[in-house]
Amino acid sequence: MGNIMSSSFAPECTELKKKYDSCFNEWYTEKFLKGKSIENECSKEWDNYIKCVDRNLVKSGIKPALDEARKEAPFENGGDLNKD
Amino acid sequence: MKLFNNSYELDYPWNQVTAANWNKYPNEVSTHVVAVDVLRREVKDSGNVLVTERLITVQQNIPRWLIFLLGSTQNVSYVREVSTVNLQDKTLTLKSCNLNYVNLLKVFETVQYTPHPKDPLDRTLFKQEAQISACTGCNVSKKLTNTMEDWSIKRFCDNAKKGKIGFNSVLRLSNEETSNYK
Repeated sequence: MGNIMSSSFAPECTELKKKYDSCFNEWYTEKFLKGKSIENECSKEWDNYIKCVDRNLVKSGIKPALDEARKEAPFENGGDLNKD
Repeated sequence: MKLFNNSYELDYPWNQVTAANWNKYPNEVSTHVVAVDVLRREVKDSGNVLVTERLITVQQNIPRWLIFLLGSTQNVSYVREVSTVNLQDKTLTLKSCNLNYVNLLKVFETVQYTPHPKDPLDRTLFKQEAQISACTGCNVSKKLTNTMEDWSIKRFCDNAKKGKIGFNSVLRLSNEETSNYK
């Protein structure tokens, strides 16, 4: 897909994000939307990208506000992302 | 507290709209969104539901009086968004709230994309609601609280207009690339 992809908030993660996004976009249209997949298959790209993101969330000082918002999480009771 | 409501139709099928949603930014109009990151992502219900948490980085000039209130000239802010794609109900729901300056201003937004009831195969309905509250954790006059809420509603409305134009340009591009969604 020739879509332009967004940057990461942390410049050093942008390349890893683009690799992950291109894998995800392909999976989303070709498998997920067609009901052909029960798991997200881009785990290698994801692992590399999220390590970079997690490191930079701490480094840039965003992590405390994010943790606070997750705890408060008034809108995701049905989203189940809260089960750390 | 003030409320903002908006809805419109998109001339593209729901599947395609949900795929383009991941690539909504960057677009030539919504230049205030400078970065989008995925923080968590889970496939659930035997592949019928996809839940995604994202961090959206926004950079936009703020007026002088607000700089004074914030005690900062920093014009970068962060938004946390949790979205759910449900293939059974054919819904994409995005809920978000700002992460910084929360004592001064809280903006809760809900966006939903569903197939258009009259034309479910070819068109999509977009619905947006925002709840804006100023000064939930600070002590300023009612007048200033109102000024802040009015300013936020106006900015939110301007950004929503840009969002519509920007997303349509992304959808046009995705349409040229593939017709593989139906």
